[in-house]
Amino acid sequence: MIPNLKSTVTKTLLALGGVSVATTIASAHHSGAMFDDQKEVTMEGVVKEFQYTNPHSWLLVDVTQPDGSTTTWGFEAEGPSTLLRAGIRKSDLLPGTKITITGHPMRDGRSAGSWVKATRGDGKQMNPKPMGNFALPKQ
Amino acid sequence: MQRACAITGAALLLSAMIGNYVNAAEVKGMTWLAQETSTWTETKAKLQSLGEQFPTSEALFEHLRKEASDGTSLDPAALPDWRGVWTRTKGGLSFDPDLKASDGATSATLTKAGQEAVDKKIHTLTVKGGEYDRISACSPPGTPRWITEPFLKEFVVTPDQTWLMNEMVNDVRRIYTDGRAHSAAEDSYPSWNGDSIGFWDGDILTIHTKYLREGDYQRGLQPDYSDQVELVERWHKVNDMTIEADTWAFDPVNLAKPWYTRQSWTKIEDPDHVLRLRYWDCGENQNNQVIKTEEGTSQFSDFNFVDDDAAVSSDPNVKRAAGDKAKPANQ
Repeated sequence: MIPNLKSTVTKTLLALGGVSVATTIASAHHSGAMFDDQKEVTMEGVVKEFQYTNPHSWLLVDVTQPDGSTTTWGFEAEGPSTLLRAGIRKSDLLPGTKITITGHPMRDGRSAGSWVKATRGDGKQMNPKPMGNFALPKQ
Repeated sequence: MQRACAITGAALLLSAMIGNYVNAAEVKGMTWLAQETSTWTETKAKLQSLGEQFPTSEALFEHLRKEASDGTSLDPAALPDWRGVWTRTKGGLSFDPDLKASDGATSATLTKAGQEAVDKKIHTLTVKGGEYDRISACSPPGTPRWITEPFLKEFVVTPDQTWLMNEMVNDVRRIYTDGRAHSAAEDSYPSWNGDSIGFWDGDILTIHTKYLREGDYQRGLQPDYSDQVELVERWHKVNDMTIEADTWAFDPVNLAKPWYTRQSWTKIEDPDHVLRLRYWDCGENQNNQVIKTEEGTSQFSDFNFVDDDAAVSSDPNVKRAAGDKAKPANQ
């Protein structure tokens, strides 16, 4: 028997964000256990490839390291229909596009994370969550 | 099973004894009970009580059918207009959209077995810090879980069938409204979305679903359901932008009482028709391969943008997956 059951449940639900809409969109298809949601990493790079796929999209970004080498980072988001509702089209992030991107990193050290927010080189914000009940964000 | 039935019977009796029993006649003439904020708690209790008056889902369904005088035929020239692309209105992944984090794991009244299953999930999540969702590899969510899934939905009404479609995993529930009965019991078997029959009463669609596979109402701390779970739903478009559904889940294994919830979906404004429901295939992109770890949580397999995942990952499951991949298939 687990002591203080309701307290434990509440804490666990709150920790998991189990009933928040935001969490629904963040990881509705698989558990987000592989990401460390207590950490964020931000980096500048150029888009290598935008894998606009179901059930999840991946934005691959080449990041130049201090020693001059390049590391490819992958940032996971929801699939195309969710990205579209967030105003992010496949053509918005063509290879070579400059970008500053923030994500929750993988716990295991691989160069990947869940996409939290990004800013394209021209200043356009790229938040992968829908901003309303619209097929495309209203201007 | 016998114990679960006994618990259900006792719960019904107790409910009647303490005066929480609402006569079916009280909701007899309802076309739809509106979800008004100020009265919703009372209305929800009334609808919960309605479900509790019936020992089985089929008894509730037959009651509703009788009240509707066996339903009405749809005019092909004047079908209910459920066109558009829809998404779940509220509740996130919670089966009960009204549930708040401070309410605990569920609003369902569980049997001992049902509670033990939830307790096990609490233990897993608090001790291991994660879980593996069975749909990570694009396995169907199944019904009733179908109701909680997000993403895009389309609802197609025809005179003889209504199709409830979710973009997720290309999932379609077919509701037969041509007057047919359920599949013969001796020829039936548990399936992801079961066997659904229904009838129209004006613009309200009442559905009965049985022959379902066991599953969970959603991941996290939400209850499980057995392959004896059955569902009664009443779907209604309440305004141009909202479709709602009263749902009663019956499951003698996990639920001590029928579990009533009201579900809703909101139409997405799409004047330029840019949204599409696209095919889902977890094998389409290597980076979407999610594996179940030895600890029972989730991890990505090899990425196609990492040269040597096993070398750079600290997770033995990734190293093991990479090792397995390197072995010849016949070993």
